[in-house]
Order: sequence, then structure tokens, then C-alpha cells
Amino acid sequence: MRPITRRSFLRLLVASLGSAATGRLLAACNLAPQPEAGLPLATSGPAAIALPTPAMPLPPTDTPSEAAPTPAGIPDLAVARGGDDPASLVERALAALGGMARFVPAGANVLIKPNICVAYHSYEYAATTNPWVVGALVRLALDAGARRVCVLDYPFGGSPDEAYARSGIQEQVLAAGGEMLSLSRLQFLPTDIPEGLDLRTADIHEQALQSDVIISVPIAKTHGLARLTLGMKNLMGLILDRQAIHRNMGQRLADLTSRLRPALTVIDAVRILTANGPTGGNLDDVLKLDTVIASPDIVAADAYASTLFGLQPSDLEYVVAGAAMGLGRSDLGSLRIEEIPVGG
Amino acid sequence: MAAEAGRRRRRRFTWGRARRATQAVSLLAFFLLFLGAARQAVAPKWLDLSFRLDPLAMLAQAIASRRLLASSALALVTLVASVLLGRAWCGWVCPLGTLLDVFTPRRRNSPPADGLEPWRAAKYLLLLAMLVAAAFGSLTLLILDPLTLVFRALASSLWPALDQIITALERAAYTVEFLRPPVAWLEGVLRPGIFPIDPVHASAGFAVFLLLAGIVGLNWLAPRWWCRALCPLGGLLGLVSKAAIVRRHVDPACSGCAACARRCPTGTIRPDRGFASDPAECSVCMDCVDVCAMDVNGFHAARPKPAWEAYDPSRRQALTAIGAAVLGVGLLSSDPRRDHTPPYRLRPPGVVDADFLQTCIRCAACVRACPTAALNPALTDSGWEGVWSPVLIPRLGYCDYSCNACGQVCPVQAIPALSLEVKRQQVIGAAYIDQDRCIAWADHIDCIVCEEMCPVPEKAITLETVSIPRPDGVEVGVKLPHVDRLRCIGCGICEYKCPVPGEAAIRVFTSASTLF
Repeated sequence: MRPITRRSFLRLLVASLGSAATGRLLAACNLAPQPEAGLPLATSGPAAIALPTPAMPLPPTDTPSEAAPTPAGIPDLAVARGGDDPASLVERALAALGGMARFVPAGANVLIKPNICVAYHSYEYAATTNPWVVGALVRLALDAGARRVCVLDYPFGGSPDEAYARSGIQEQVLAAGGEMLSLSRLQFLPTDIPEGLDLRTADIHEQALQSDVIISVPIAKTHGLARLTLGMKNLMGLILDRQAIHRNMGQRLADLTSRLRPALTVIDAVRILTANGPTGGNLDDVLKLDTVIASPDIVAADAYASTLFGLQPSDLEYVVAGAAMGLGRSDLGSLRIEEIPVGG
Repeated sequence: MAAEAGRRRRRRFTWGRARRATQAVSLLAFFLLFLGAARQAVAPKWLDLSFRLDPLAMLAQAIASRRLLASSALALVTLVASVLLGRAWCGWVCPLGTLLDVFTPRRRNSPPADGLEPWRAAKYLLLLAMLVAAAFGSLTLLILDPLTLVFRALASSLWPALDQIITALERAAYTVEFLRPPVAWLEGVLRPGIFPIDPVHASAGFAVFLLLAGIVGLNWLAPRWWCRALCPLGGLLGLVSKAAIVRRHVDPACSGCAACARRCPTGTIRPDRGFASDPAECSVCMDCVDVCAMDVNGFHAARPKPAWEAYDPSRRQALTAIGAAVLGVGLLSSDPRRDHTPPYRLRPPGVVDADFLQTCIRCAACVRACPTAALNPALTDSGWEGVWSPVLIPRLGYCDYSCNACGQVCPVQAIPALSLEVKRQQVIGAAYIDQDRCIAWADHIDCIVCEEMCPVPEKAITLETVSIPRPDGVEVGVKLPHVDRLRCIGCGICEYKCPVPGEAAIRVFTSASTLF
């Protein structure tokens, strides 16, 4: 090998430092012409969500369900029960809600967020979302004409790729034609939460900011602080600093939800974890309910799921906070709920 | 005319080219095994290949642990090769030797450094001290084995440093819109296979690096000064090579131009001895054959005539080395940290602390394999004897409930190769809550992170809801964490994730398993 001369080494050094500096300069140029220059660049991601300029009062942001009011004859919330096929539970519940096309427009960029919180166990332990529930949603979204369907979670125990594989979710997602996103900390971008009452900023995954549609697919299970982890709590997997949410968790989860606004929440209660959540590991704590709850209203879905554990919606602080912020409704009595018995 | 001949030679086969190619391939293989040790991209039975080829580490380990591992028989290949070919390992295979060749000062035709000649004895003395210490159960000196040295420096200093540099560059590039796709692609390639997703920190990184840097720096005294004077593996192979069958031979037709002596990287070709060399010093690089205009340099099979050179150790030096080793082991053993276990010294899962230091070769394969960077080479946590043996530092990383990699990659079973089911039940330590600093206990604010993180199926951390009056008199219900030490496995994820800044409010102490 020809030895590198000092001159060529210095040339290389100057070139690389120069390009790094140019990069910074370009980044600065990028920022300059924008009116919300005070905000980090990252927040300018999704055009769908209007960012207020500091001078203006906050405009009310429409939730997807408010933007597209529930058509007559279609329930606010669908619950499918029975049978051995989680996929058909999802299909029946979605059909009752008017079909996936109601939530996923043709050409949409869809993010499906299951709960894959640890890399420890297979799905039978009910610590992670049922793989066939996720797979069915991927397929339905693609059938509805989605351009791209990504699935991701940032586990707190073990590494993402192992968690993806061990949960069984990766296999079903890939089989259905979806994409498992490999994770990088770079992808979490500092983002303002304009409607947040307590949590005003968070590092949110760019896919959540760029997607046209977010579908939250939690598994229903217990949690020491939140009592249950459901649709709103599941969104924590899309941010970097979860410790921040542990203070005043109910309100902060509602704040986070106000920024992410999932168009659809599908709660996997095929198996539920009744104790030792969220990590699980003991089959004695698992209860097989063969139930899937779906709703465009994340608060309503969570409120309904609380009853599976013998709780009231008001027992969950984030449901109360979410309802108070107008993110959805928690009064089960006035919701139109369709119960769908499936199979034997 | 000489230049013309040189040009012609450059096109022909030269030993130097063949050697450099072999060195490159072997360094690459070493590096790939290093890369593969993370996330077990390579099957565990191959991962420890480089260490099993190392007769010094295997011999010392067998002596100290009083246990002969069948897998270490591979080291005989290196020994037999040295009987046949001399220290060809040093010239052609050794990753540290190759690094030293790469980082050689430009001016290679240095005059023989006579003042340094007596130092050639040091490697034998070091070897002797190492083996005597091993007989007394100490493997501390294996930190100077060239293979463990390079692997450890890669695992615990160069790799984390490179990770930091790459992350900084990526972060800068990621702020530019149009650079995002290529950076994202790069991240996908790098993580989690080559670098971990969460940033890692290496507690002994700087010290480990300094040792390697110092050894490379010795090259400025004379090329491959480490190999000539200090390398204990070189000493072992040198001893064997004194009886090497294929050895260098100089034809009487030699014109005495001394080109070979000037080129010789180990400085063993001595004009004053008719350009003969010592097979125990020769790395069989064959540069002398390449450089010889008269073609009088050659390597031929011969009846070995082992000779003891003037610079080789004297009986007095050998006795001194033995005495120093024995005294050294005594001093190391009298360190209180050896027998009075320090409160936070945790070992990898499944390790029996009592004989760990007699078994561990300090190679840092486990450090590389640990996906959360919980394992770090110790500084003096377990006394000087345990320098750079692995310790688990929960504040830097936790023992992943879904991982058993360290035991799988350990080349000498110092960390037992446990199935995941068995590893999950290993008690590494025991968690205790500092109630004066815990957010729930001290400040009456719910936190529960430790309970949430606890991976044990029946959680070892439980929550008790207690009604406590705050300073303002208002009664609040607070969830207070408790540790059930009968269930705690000491994985340390509670300490790792504890949101209290600085020292965690829950810490894993050395296992108190005898108490429970």
C-alpha cells in the first residue's frame, strides 16, 4: 500500500471538516426563512398539524374523529369477541367501524404502534401485542391503499430487533407486507406539544411525526403507576425520555396524545395480563379473553378496556385527563358500542 | 541498474507481499470475530478462535484454574507451527504484531540498538513470572498477553470511542434535511449489529487504551520493540523456536552488504556474527530473503541446535523473576478487596466469585458481547489482582433478561455457558433501596420505575400504597417500592433506569445469597 503523505492526509482532514461545517451552515440556512424559527427544525415535519406561531393564540386542533364525524349507523366503538382467530376479531371490529378505508386514505403513510415493551417473552405471556392482531392491521391498511405501513416500538428491556423477533410481531408484519423499522436514537426529534398542559416538549420519533395515520395497538395489561397500559400509555414507546412521563403521568400521557392523535386505537385483549405488568413472564397472570376493541376515539377505547379488569374509566388518570382535554369521551353510557360475537 | 532490478523484483512474487497479505487476512479475521462477538452474529464456537490459538493464555489458564479444557487444545497448533517454522506467528499472524508493523516510524533502517539488546531477556522473565504466578492461581499478568490486549482495547476503549465519534458526526449530518436518508441508511447498517442503539460508556477505556498506545509507542525505540523485548507470548514461542526446524541460513557467498541486517525488523541479524540470527528472535518475516541481492539468505530445514544467547536470561535473572512473581502474588492476595468483597462488585451472571480470577483470562470477549455495555473491565474494584477482569456496573447497563451472551462467548468458561432459562435465575446481586433518596420514600411522589422495569415474572419489587401526610398536612397516597430479596436476581435494570440523578436510589449490592 502506498503510504499516505502528510499533504494528502491534511487535504482529507480539511475536506471532511469543511463538509461537516458546510452541513451546519446549510442547516442554519434551512432554519432561517421559516416563521417559527424559534422552534426546532424537527417540528416542521408533518404539514397536517398546524404549528402556531408564538404570537397567535392556539387554534383548536381537530381530532381525526371530530374532523370526520362518525357516520350515522356506525358505532363509536366496536368490540369483537370469541373464536380462536385474532385476525378475524380485528377484521370484524374494523368492518363494524366502517372499514379501514375510513381511517387510511389511499396513498397514506401509516404507522402502527404495537406494544413490544420487552424482548423477554413470546406473545403467550401477554407482555407484547398479539402478532396476528398487528399483522391483520397491516394487511387491512395495505388493502385500503396505504403507500407504506411501518411498525415500530422502542422497548425498555432488551434491544428492539430482539424484541421484534421474540414477540412474533416481526414475522406477521413482514408476512402481511409491512415494514419493521429498525431503531436509531437520531430519529427522536425534539418536538413541541402546543396543546400540552404539563408536558410541553418531547423527543418524538420522526415516523410518528411524518405519518399520515397513527394506529395505536396496545395489549391490555397492568402497570404499577398507570394501573393499566392501554392506547394512550402505548404512545410512550414513540418518545425517548420515558422518565419524564412518570411524573404526573395521567396529564402528561394526555398531553402526548394531543400531539400524536392516533386515528385509530385497537386494543388487543386476546390475552390480557392481570398482574406483574408491564413485563409479565408468568402464564398464571394471563387471562385469555379473545377480545379486540377498536375505536377512532382513544379515550373511549381505553375507558372501555378498563372494564375488562373490573375497573371504572375514572380509575385511570389518563382517561380522565384525556376526556377533560377533549381528546375523546369516557362516558361509556352515552357511547354507541357495538358488541360483535365471533365464531364459537 | 540496481533500481531496474528492484523494479523487476517488485513485480515478481516476494515474501514480503505474501506475508503482508497473510497479516491482513489474519487481522481482518480477528476483527471480524470481534465484530461477530456482539449479538452473536457468529456462532459462539468460532468466536473464541483467536484466544484458543493463543498457547500462552491457554497454558496459564490451565495452570491457574487446574482445569484442562479440551477446546484449548487448538493452541497446540500454534506451538507445533513454532517448532516447525519458528516465530512465524509473530511475523505473519499476530494482530498486535501487524498493528506494530503498520505503526512503524518511517525511518526503518535504524542502526541496531545495542543498548536495548539486554532487554530481550525481559520477555522470558515476564513469561516465567506469568507461569509461576499462574501456579499460585493468579492470572493478573495475562493483561499483557497480546491477543487479550488488542481485543480488550478494541472492546472497551476504541469501539466506544468510535461510537461516540460516529454518533457526533451523524448527529451533525442529521440536522441537514437532504443528508438524512444516507445517515438513516448508515444507522441501519451500524446499529444494532456493529454499535449498540443506546450510547455505551467504558469505565476503563482510557487506561486500556494507554497500554496499547504505550506499546505502539515503543516502536519508536526500535521497530517491534515490544516483540523483541516484552511480549510474553513471543517469549513462549521464542523458547520453542530455539529448536525450530526451518531456520534462517546464510550462504558463505554472502558479500557482507548488511542490507538484511538493516532491514531486519527484530534486529536479530548481526553483522558481527556473520549475519547469523537467533531463531528465538526472528519473526520469519522473510524480508532478508527479499532484500538480499546475492540470494544468500534462505530458510531451510535443519537439525535444530538450540543456543542460549548472551542476552538471554541468566539463572540469577530467572530466580529473581520467580521470586518477584511469588512476592507479587502475595502482595496482590493481601489486598483486602480480594477476600472482603467490595459492596458493589458484581460479576457476570453465573460466575462463582471464589475461583473467577483463577479462570478469567481478561480477554474482554464478554465485554464485547454484552448488549447493554453493563460489563466493563474492572479497574481495581476487586484489588489489583482483578485488574481488567469483567465487572457488571448496573448504572452503565443492566443484565438483559433476554440475553446470555457473555457465557456463550467466554473462551475459557470462566463465565458458565448457561441456557437462557438457567441464566434468568442466576443471582448476580441483590437490590436495596436508599429510602433517603428514593423519590417515593423521601419525597412522597409516585415513581415506580424500578417496579415497572423489574423483569422477574413475579416481580421482585412490589409497591405498597401508603397514606402519608405531606409537610402541608395533606394526606397523599404514595406507592412505596419494596424489594423482595428472595426473588431479586440483581440484574440491575432498576438501578440503571432509576431516575434519581447521580447515584441511583436503588442499588445492586454484591450478592447476599447466603443470607436468604
